Amino acid sequence: MAKDKKRKVKKGGFAEIAFRFSRSKTAMIGFVLLVLIVLVAVFADLIVPYDKVLEQNSSNLMATPSKDHWFGTDPLGRDLFARVVHGSRVSIAVGLLTTIVAMVVGGLFGIIAAYYGGRVDMWIMRIVDIFTCIPGILLSITIVATLGPNFINLVLAMVVTSIPGTIRFIRGVVMGVTENDYVEAAKSYGANDMRIMLKYIMPNAMGTIIVDTTMTVAGCILSASGLSYLGLGIQPPSPEWGAMLSDTKQYLRTSPHLLIFPGLAIILTAFSINLVGDGLRDALDPKLRD
Amino acid sequence: MNEGKGRALIETRELKKFFYTPQGTLHAVDGVNIRIDKGCTLGVVGESGCGKSTLGRAILRLHEPTSGEIYFDGDDLMKYDKKKLREARKEMQMIFQDPYSSINPRMSVYELIAEPIIINKVCRGKAEIGKKVAELMETVGLAERLTGAYPHELDGGRRQRIGVARALSLDPKFIVCDEPVSALDVSIQAQILNLLMDLQDSMHLTYMFITHDLSVVKHISDEIAVMYLGMCVERAPTNELFRNPTHPYTKALLSAIPIPSLEMRHKEIQVIKGEITSPINPKPGCRFAPRCPLATDECVGHDIEFREISPGHFVSCIHADK
Amino acid sequence: MADKLLEIKDLEVIYQSDFETVHAVNGVSFSIERGQTMGLVGETGAGKTTTSLAILRLLPDRTGKVLGGSIEFDGRSLLDLKESEMREIRGEKISMIFQDPMTALNPILRVGDQIYEALELHNTEKKTTEELHKRVDEMFEMVGIPPYRKREYPHQFSGGMKQRVIIAMALACEPELLIADEPTTALDVTIQAQVLMMMRELKERLGTAMIMITHDLGIVAQTCDTVAVMYAGSIIEYGTLEDIFSKEKNHHPYTEGLFASIPNLEEETDRLHPIEGLMPDPTNLPTGCRFSPRCPKCMEICKTTPPPEWEENGHRIACHLFKKEVQ
Repeated sequence: MAKDKKRKVKKGGFAEIAFRFSRSKTAMIGFVLLVLIVLVAVFADLIVPYDKVLEQNSSNLMATPSKDHWFGTDPLGRDLFARVVHGSRVSIAVGLLTTIVAMVVGGLFGIIAAYYGGRVDMWIMRIVDIFTCIPGILLSITIVATLGPNFINLVLAMVVTSIPGTIRFIRGVVMGVTENDYVEAAKSYGANDMRIMLKYIMPNAMGTIIVDTTMTVAGCILSASGLSYLGLGIQPPSPEWGAMLSDTKQYLRTSPHLLIFPGLAIILTAFSINLVGDGLRDALDPKLRD
Repeated sequence: MNEGKGRALIETRELKKFFYTPQGTLHAVDGVNIRIDKGCTLGVVGESGCGKSTLGRAILRLHEPTSGEIYFDGDDLMKYDKKKLREARKEMQMIFQDPYSSINPRMSVYELIAEPIIINKVCRGKAEIGKKVAELMETVGLAERLTGAYPHELDGGRRQRIGVARALSLDPKFIVCDEPVSALDVSIQAQILNLLMDLQDSMHLTYMFITHDLSVVKHISDEIAVMYLGMCVERAPTNELFRNPTHPYTKALLSAIPIPSLEMRHKEIQVIKGEITSPINPKPGCRFAPRCPLATDECVGHDIEFREISPGHFVSCIHADK
Repeated sequence: MADKLLEIKDLEVIYQSDFETVHAVNGVSFSIERGQTMGLVGETGAGKTTTSLAILRLLPDRTGKVLGGSIEFDGRSLLDLKESEMREIRGEKISMIFQDPMTALNPILRVGDQIYEALELHNTEKKTTEELHKRVDEMFEMVGIPPYRKREYPHQFSGGMKQRVIIAMALACEPELLIADEPTTALDVTIQAQVLMMMRELKERLGTAMIMITHDLGIVAQTCDTVAVMYAGSIIEYGTLEDIFSKEKNHHPYTEGLFASIPNLEEETDRLHPIEGLMPDPTNLPTGCRFSPRCPKCMEICKTTPPPEWEENGHRIACHLFKKEVQ
């Protein structure tokens, strides 16, 4: 039998995961889309200066898309394109910030619950159970309504509603990893708990956790839009996609462009993140390895 | 602090490890007395549920024993506090069974072997650590080019060599080998067994070799202890055990091994009836009685003595010398 | 009725992934007669499981491919059959027992129902429900489990008992060929003895032919009539039990190595004599004889030319060493 070509790519390494990811058409579409959206958010100022967001032109209200106003104008005569572009910043920021905080705090408790087990686990999980009984939407509405609607409180509300689920998830992942003999082996030559958690458990749980994280970001963006739609999130005149939908919902039949553009923005962002998350999960799944 | 207990490096007295479950108390290790002399190998044999793995871990206090004494070079390990135990751990190490789950897939060969050294601050500075790792790799037969390799690139045999190198890194005196070759192919098993035996000679190691494979244990052990449901039912020097197995369970165990030879094809196999009974809340008496062809009424209801029927040969069976 | 029950010629199977091609089976030929037991011996990666999956056409869809060769069962070519025809064969004419009893049974179905299901699917004689249930009871008794336990779930059985249930399921439809893939590896030695004895009795009673896949030469000695030794996807030695175990006959160096690396209960040995090196990478097999890098008797020709087959009265060895003895 003739010799086959040597493996070009190291098995299991980052390069292999990236390669496998790139084989999936849907994942790549999601990735490209996501990169575009992030670039738009980062370079929003360069694409369209912020004053355009605020500039009201009362002679040109609710105009349909044209050469001067690519997405048309809103009921106050503001350029819709500028508002959608700058709105991306808010959405991405909220989604990322919430996810990071929820992952760090939730992750900490999840790891502690899983690693120490016993009573510690029991107490943490009972508290998680209590929070899970409260519907997420109601909880976040309550928090924002009580503390006042602004960016920070929005993030806070979403963090509080996300944490229980995060704790449960990470606990599950860590429990699976802790079952491996190498954790016991580390204990046998004197590794302390901190070292075990940082060097043995975390690196092996990261893959699964990262995939879940991407999904959480998408969920947060949708939730933030929902809350802003209810008037509980970002306040005017800051542009936020959900708020834009809320402000113009009565014009759905007469000037649909007012809702289509922000709506599409929300959908595309969440969708692209989900595609990337799916692609990552498939790329990391050892069972799909041949 | 050696109270003159001969040359025994490890000695346990009535070592017990119980697990408390909703169904009752699981007697995993129920009063085991063993003794391993310096430089020797005790083979611990038994099938699933006999408690051999738990025994190995209990001796190292990886599972905290429920009661009993463990003497390491004359000192009772049970009396050590956390700090002293950590120090003592350097002298007692373990080689694990599954070469796939016992090494961290995210660490390179170098990091895996250096880990115990780094944690216990045995060496000073990177250069010294590097030198020690290289020495260990050579000792266990791992090629130098594998220093930066990751576990998933290596086969079971090489992974197990990492396990051995790691166990040796702290210059231990005693190593518990928990089924170190069971997960390996036959030809690789032989390689690792030879390695372990060579190391024992050159480094004066004492082993407790846990396995279910009697042919492997015969090869490597000086003395063998047979376990059943948490208790030691027979213990004897290797040759004596094979020449003169006394306990009905030992006899059945030996006879059940399929021999790779034509002449033995139709040999009489003593098939034990039934299945192993539950280790939860066991009744006093011989644990093997429900399945034993020789069982009588005297076998149950009271503890059976572990007695010496010939020099060094102990059995816990009342029918032993009939 | 064809002469031989199963006849395989020059079978070649690969696993093809995005990265590489694994040459799992490379030109395997053997035959089995009715009622005969053949031992398929080899270490991990030799290709034994792949061969058996190929016979039942159970290779993974996306990646497993039969490149060439033929598999004839009772005169019919299995590779040419439609999937629906294969389904009639699986479980009914050819059954398979897998290695791990813990995961082979459906945890949410009662064990009796699982055997019943097998009977129902292959009910060619259109038996009534009562007759089928009666048969389930018969099977339980045959494998030594009291029939009242058929209402229990798999988790209520120990490993050895589970394996008995699996054997009952496999033999329920009285297949002509049973493929047992390391059926006792996961079991304790005393339970293994029970299960092997039971399998032997059943085999004799039902006249089933069997392929016993194992790496344990002791099991081979106890249960098999013929033996095929596999290495890196090929059969390097094939013969009757006597041919393989008899010390006076010729042997492939790998076979000799296998015997030498087993710690022997009968003899005293200081050191074991393992085979040096490792099984080759199946994506990158050596040229010439696959065993040449590890062979203590390797000659120059072994490295470049695939070995010819030496034969004497049905005992075949693929090795250059015996070439001179071919007529």
